[in-house]
Amino acid sequence: MKRLASLALAAALAWQSAAAQDYQQRRRQLIEKMARVEDAKLHYAGIAARLWLREGVPAAERRLRELLEGGISGDMFWMFPMTAIAYLDRGQLSEPARALIRKSWKAYYPFRGDTENHWLLYYTSMYLMAQMWPEMGGEGWFNGKSSKENMEEARRWIESWVKLTTTKGQGEYDCTHYIGVYLLPLSYLAAWAEEPRMKKQASMMIEWITADFAAEDLDGIYVGAHARTDDRQVVEKWRGVSADFAWLLFGQVKETPPFGGYSIFYALADGPEPPEILRRIATDRSRPYTHLERKRTRNRWRFQDELHGQVYKTTYMTKDYAVGSDQGGALQPVQQHSWDVTWRVDDPEGVHNTLFSLHPYSGMVELEEYFTFSPDFGTEAVWRSKTTYDSPDKLLGGSPYERIAQSEDAVIALYDIPPGTRFPHINGFFSKDLEQVEEDSSGWIFCRGGRTWIAYRPLAPYVWKPIEGGGRRLFSPYLKNGTVVQAAGMDEYATLDSFRKAVRALPLKFALEPAPRVEFRTLRGKTIEFTYGQTPRIDGKPLDYAGWPAFGGPFLHGRAGEPRLEMTHGGVRRVLDFRALTVREEKMAGAK
Amino acid sequence: MRVLVWFTVAALCAHAEHRLHALGVTTKGWVVGAALLPSGLFVKRADGAWANEGYRHPLLTAVAWIDGSPETLFLAAGDGVIRIDAQGRWRVLTDETVTELQDISAGAGGVLAFGHTTGFRVSEDRGATWREISAGLPRRYGKAVRLDRLRKGRVVIGTENGFYVSNNLGGTWQLAGAAGFQAMRVEQSPHDASLWLAVTQKGGIFRSTDGGQTFEATPRDAAAGRNLYDIAFDPADARRIAVCGWGPGVLVSEDGGITWQARNQGLPRPDVWSVAFDPDKPGRLYAGVHEEALYVSEDAGKTWRADGLPGSIILKMAFVPAGGAR
Repeated sequence: MKRLASLALAAALAWQSAAAQDYQQRRRQLIEKMARVEDAKLHYAGIAARLWLREGVPAAERRLRELLEGGISGDMFWMFPMTAIAYLDRGQLSEPARALIRKSWKAYYPFRGDTENHWLLYYTSMYLMAQMWPEMGGEGWFNGKSSKENMEEARRWIESWVKLTTTKGQGEYDCTHYIGVYLLPLSYLAAWAEEPRMKKQASMMIEWITADFAAEDLDGIYVGAHARTDDRQVVEKWRGVSADFAWLLFGQVKETPPFGGYSIFYALADGPEPPEILRRIATDRSRPYTHLERKRTRNRWRFQDELHGQVYKTTYMTKDYAVGSDQGGALQPVQQHSWDVTWRVDDPEGVHNTLFSLHPYSGMVELEEYFTFSPDFGTEAVWRSKTTYDSPDKLLGGSPYERIAQSEDAVIALYDIPPGTRFPHINGFFSKDLEQVEEDSSGWIFCRGGRTWIAYRPLAPYVWKPIEGGGRRLFSPYLKNGTVVQAAGMDEYATLDSFRKAVRALPLKFALEPAPRVEFRTLRGKTIEFTYGQTPRIDGKPLDYAGWPAFGGPFLHGRAGEPRLEMTHGGVRRVLDFRALTVREEKMAGAK
Repeated sequence: MRVLVWFTVAALCAHAEHRLHALGVTTKGWVVGAALLPSGLFVKRADGAWANEGYRHPLLTAVAWIDGSPETLFLAAGDGVIRIDAQGRWRVLTDETVTELQDISAGAGGVLAFGHTTGFRVSEDRGATWREISAGLPRRYGKAVRLDRLRKGRVVIGTENGFYVSNNLGGTWQLAGAAGFQAMRVEQSPHDASLWLAVTQKGGIFRSTDGGQTFEATPRDAAAGRNLYDIAFDPADARRIAVCGWGPGVLVSEDGGITWQARNQGLPRPDVWSVAFDPDKPGRLYAGVHEEALYVSEDAGKTWRADGLPGSIILKMAFVPAGGAR
């Protein structure tokens, strides 16, 4: 028996070692690809990659000088690659090149920005560069502060952000793109900070954010509600930085271009491979589960008594699909994505594997709440960079006039749009990759995405409009409106007919006046009662927003307000405790 | 020799006792991600050309200096208070706890105050240390702030819910006017310390004749429902005031802010961010027109011509006494 246990342990260790090797291989593959760019086209990432490999450095140095002498731009997006180059130098650059780097932090004034990812990138870079030049006075820095002052300020900001995030949730939560600009600076601090506390805290935050992703990872695709995604990735779910990290960290999906280049810097900074338990959480979809999260809004400068609002997320995961939502409302500006059904596909490139509806809100109330924009130029200032913001057919963004309730794989979105609102309609996204789409006489629209059946019930009349790039937009110009969606797997219903029959048999009552209201019995036997503006009730009980956990599900556990995350899987428990700054992993009692 | 020196100094002083400073960003033609176009602090040189002084900066919103020390400027910036000294050296005076400053003011006794996204702060040691003065305010978005230039301790602030006044440097606050309206700017007359003017988002122009204790709405016809951004008192004429905004363009009052006339003839569009009267040239008025240019009028806004800074958004202008070495 003992021998058997030893063999099992050896096999497990060997497997873990192989997985680790895979991670190191993927990491090196990424770095080598970046370093192989031809000399004249090298940019900062390529220069850093060559320094990491200790190959082709003279040409990299020449290119570095060209870039620095040719005019610097990019603010914190210049600071973080420069920080990597400075730390990967390790004696390879010439003294003049090193002096040029140093001088650039005086000659160029990088702006600190206006979002948390900007500030984390900025302060991480300031912390590490001040650490590198500890004796430099204010005359050496663009902001006139000494290295000591800069480092203390950076440390304070980073510590306060960690505390805020681990007690109240991330502000830019679950971002498909911006996840990179959180993992990247944290990997720098974990690798290069000399203070043990900063180093440890950063490595724990990497696990925290990776765990946050892992529980909502559908074969490499970040599912559920997002504080921020973008126009392309909101429909082509694979196309983003989160997929880069799914490939790099867990070996999922396929190697990507990479988007945005953030994963390369994580690799260059020796970003850690996630612990085995996280890989298992990211990949184990053997049983469906509901996962809850509590997050917070971005800073709300105006119109609210509290700086941060609460965000309550629900995500239902299966091996074939996920249904995820927040509670609705304008929780984040411009790039919020509140709910969808996303189905798994073997090769997600080019596939629009999702379905959802939204009210295409555009307005200064949102922009003034979250930004300092002037009222007359704010909308234009946004759409100059986020080009669809003020478009009636957009598929991205939250709305103050949407409310959402979810129970497992059923979701209800209700809309009560005041008269006079810009874009007084709702858009439903029907992908070009849906199959067997049928508008049933019952009012339900039935369809299939991959191995997932989806039933979509619009609550008001609609017409179809084409979408550039494929697919159709369900356009419903009614102010009081709603969508009821039920998903199920092909394992449960072999044919569309059997699914249709089951859904048509489900009791559904709704009314749109005076406020949209739905009562729906789901395929899982739960009854959702939901009136716009009121707390949803499941089987007669109102959703417990007050008791909503920071993380709640089979794999992640955490109470709101407590800086502690517990991960469990396969009889193993791993606990991140930010108060004690400890990581503890143990076999759970009773585990085999 | 002594006579020659005297004449030289006198000639210089006669030429310009103040230098026009403009804070802004060139946005026309700029593409997100590209290097900043000329932006930050612009200073009009003696030859009339503009110089983008110091670093390029994307968000400078206001400038102040302590009376008698114009060689040192204090800028409200997106990343804190920036001090520029006589040698042109920049130094950020604040820390990680403030962001996106909206306004800054210097008042009696050398006190400084600024408004930021979550409140207002003051400094009584020339910016070395700051303390928050927002306690007691129902909402704290710090859009506008002016310290009384004569009476130490009096400060008028603009929030998302109108204007508040404190006579003990933020110890206590009372609502002064424009309740329910987002404040945009407040200014004190250089002629009459009891006359203050305030402008709002969609609420029009408000006027105080009791030292900022109470503000009353003025006839709003010219600016009804529009957003007003800036106020300028004419240093040469106690009764002339200009305000500007998006839609109304430039509005000028010749009766101390009681009635207003639009003065946009010759402006390319009536969307104006900032106005300033030249204290050395009576009747000369500048206007920052959205993404067009800075415009200048020699007749208090009756006619206009472009005067540089093409494609810019100029958020604030100030004539700084030309006594500093900078």
